[in-house]
Amino acid sequence: MALTSHPLLSALRRNPTGAVLIALQIGITLAILVNAAAIVTRAIQKMSRPSGVDTRDTFVMTMVGLSKNFNVYSTSSADLAYLRHLPGVAAASIVFGTPLTDNGSDTSVGRSPGSRGPTVTSALLPVDQQGLRTLDVALIAGRNFRGSEIRVPSAAHPDPRIGEVIVTQALAHALFAHQSALGQTIYVGSHTPSTIIGITRNFMGPQLGQHAYDTVLAPEIVTQYDMYDLLVRTRPGQRAAVFRAAKRHIGTADPNAVIGQAVTFAHAKRLLYSGLRDLAIFLSFLTLVMLALCCLGIFGLGTFNVATRTRQIGIRRALGARRRDIVALFLAENALVVAIGAIFGCLLALAIGQWLTDHDGVARLDPWYLLVGVAILALTSQLAAWQPARRAARIPPSVATRTI
Amino acid sequence: MIGYYLRLALRSFRRAPGLTALMVSAIAIGIAACIVTLTVYHGMANNPIWWKNGELYAVTVNPSTPNRTREAGLPAYGPGQLAYDDATYLFGSSIPKRKALLTFLFGSISGAPDQTRPLPTMTRATTAGFFRMFAVPFRYGGPWSKAADRGPEPVMVLSGRENHKLFGGADSVGRTLLWSGHRFRVVGVLAPWHPLPRFYDLSAGNGGAFARPAGAFIPFQWGPVLGDWPAGDLSCDTHGSSTTPTTYQELLGSSCTWIGLWVELPTPAAQRHFLAFMQAYAANQRAAGRFQAVNTHLWTVSQWLTLHHVVSHRSGLLVNLAFALLAVCLINTLGILLAKFLRGAPVAGVRRALGASRRQIFAQHLVEAGAVSLAGAVLGLALSAAGLAGVRLMYRGSSAAYGKFAHFDAIGLAWAVALAFVSTIVAGLYPAWRIGRRAPATYLKSQ
Repeated sequence: MALTSHPLLSALRRNPTGAVLIALQIGITLAILVNAAAIVTRAIQKMSRPSGVDTRDTFVMTMVGLSKNFNVYSTSSADLAYLRHLPGVAAASIVFGTPLTDNGSDTSVGRSPGSRGPTVTSALLPVDQQGLRTLDVALIAGRNFRGSEIRVPSAAHPDPRIGEVIVTQALAHALFAHQSALGQTIYVGSHTPSTIIGITRNFMGPQLGQHAYDTVLAPEIVTQYDMYDLLVRTRPGQRAAVFRAAKRHIGTADPNAVIGQAVTFAHAKRLLYSGLRDLAIFLSFLTLVMLALCCLGIFGLGTFNVATRTRQIGIRRALGARRRDIVALFLAENALVVAIGAIFGCLLALAIGQWLTDHDGVARLDPWYLLVGVAILALTSQLAAWQPARRAARIPPSVATRTI
Repeated sequence: MIGYYLRLALRSFRRAPGLTALMVSAIAIGIAACIVTLTVYHGMANNPIWWKNGELYAVTVNPSTPNRTREAGLPAYGPGQLAYDDATYLFGSSIPKRKALLTFLFGSISGAPDQTRPLPTMTRATTAGFFRMFAVPFRYGGPWSKAADRGPEPVMVLSGRENHKLFGGADSVGRTLLWSGHRFRVVGVLAPWHPLPRFYDLSAGNGGAFARPAGAFIPFQWGPVLGDWPAGDLSCDTHGSSTTPTTYQELLGSSCTWIGLWVELPTPAAQRHFLAFMQAYAANQRAAGRFQAVNTHLWTVSQWLTLHHVVSHRSGLLVNLAFALLAVCLINTLGILLAKFLRGAPVAGVRRALGASRRQIFAQHLVEAGAVSLAGAVLGLALSAAGLAGVRLMYRGSSAAYGKFAHFDAIGLAWAVALAFVSTIVAGLYPAWRIGRRAPATYLKSQ
């Protein structure tokens, strides 16, 4: 039997409301599915950015002084001496700020002094000569700080000059584009010039957001705030033990200091993306529930309609329609409804995408998502309609026409 | 009559148990999704001091030009906190009924009986007005006096939590403690107080909108007197070219921002007066060359919450998504009910022929739709309770906001009832109307 448009449309014409309702459901589900998929994909992309540091075996302890007798330099030197002798410690360093968190300073960096010319907002991470080794960040050009270059300014001898700096590859690119940044002069937060002596691989410094990879490392032990950060990298698998031992010893070593905060990089990274991860989980969950309900609805209504149309199917079969013609008819009916729903859904998806772009600054919806979304929905809804269609085809003509 | 309709509905459910289960669970899932997301959203959008919304104002002063402000990555109103000179000058005004300066200091408390180790404590350095202005409840004692602000006198207010750690919860008013080595006298102990969001301090650098209030409170001037650096948000990029201060004296003279200022202005006249006072100050500073712009604002608590995006776009997104899910569920149910009712049309035709009025047929089918929605709502409440428990479990021990608000409340219950009602109207009204309108003869013909 040739499948003309007549039998296909007649059933829909008899109950247009039912078809419209299914199309509406499919449209809304498609629009949400597509936009949710776009948001979740971007979240996953952002979460899988490399941190550039060893997140498994590194932790930071923030030490805070409690009285005038507290001396950052002597206490931190004692802490470092203890840590470096602890078995299981690969490297330890004193820094000011915690990579992968918002705990740190930022500064403006430019190629000309003061606010003349363009500047880049960058994280400023003061480190000693062990800093790079502890972060496990490799140099791609230039050299590390020498011990003699590490300055220890104090309230009595302030020294705002930073002579040499090391910058990340991202910051070097932001400042000098494709020129070589090594040996160039830059101005870090002040009018005094600094020379770039090294360029490191990218890593996430103590400043998040758009410029997570822009960091200036300065050779300095910061003493004027009565606090400092101990950065510790352990040998593989030893972190938990070293973390516990360090907390116990360092927490009580100097009565004038306490541990203000102690975080592992793994924890900091989890915290950093927790909002994004939760959004991705909730969005995926709600969208999948929606898709499942939509398909269950098609399946339920399909099953119900088969029962209602038993007689009609029986007559068709008696008049010579084969089983596969009946299945084809039901699937074609469903496909038509899905097509109408998909057109409506695509328009709605674009509208929602536009709204998200305007209100949340989400990037414009990629048309590929629409294509894949329509394919997924068409496939699942045809699957949902298939079982009722097969059941309809199994109706023997004799049973169906018995009551005539 | 309703009882009879319900019996008919029950019979109809039994005829198609699968479809009925599908409708009930669809409505339940839709309602549960809405309640869970709405409960969290309402918690975040909460204004904990709504009754003083028109009286309390956060003060902002932006000394930079719009261009510089943009370059520094700040919103148009500038930094959310003030520099020392500006904060203390504006605080000196006698226009506000109450006023408070706010910053954080890090201290360690010792000297309590039986205490073996110093207790590291985030300490709120503020002024006497803080407690009355923000309606802070006291368990013992009370706030310090305004005179204690000026001294400053060594007085301290403890939070209930810290008082429990130090004194086992006993009345500690009059006791002396060492705060970072200095003697302070306890004058008050707070009752449990944890406003969410922490509207008076939303700065991310101070822990954000959902952080716990400080463990101890001391007069603001102790920071400058002891030369103790602020332990909270300290931002120095207001002028771009300014260098980071290295001594405490430099910090006081710098344009770095680290102090919050709140004022209580109960009347519109007082608001205008204070705004004019601020503008005059900014204009003076610009004339003196310290400011590049006159850009001062007063913000109500709800404006302040909005400016800081306390209600994240994300939670708003999820609420919208939940409502879209509910819409799909309702359309689903509407389609199934319509098909079911139309299939039962011959029965309705017989009832019409036997004397039932159109209205009675309509009522009978609406009762059936209502029963489906009601069952859906009850199941939905159970699902929401489970969902909220799941969210709490997911955020156990975390500082993220979602977990703190995932508790069933009266608002959630009211929403469930309202949504069940809406579901009946949306999903049941049209099918019931369609079936009630049918002429009985068409259906009786083929019997």
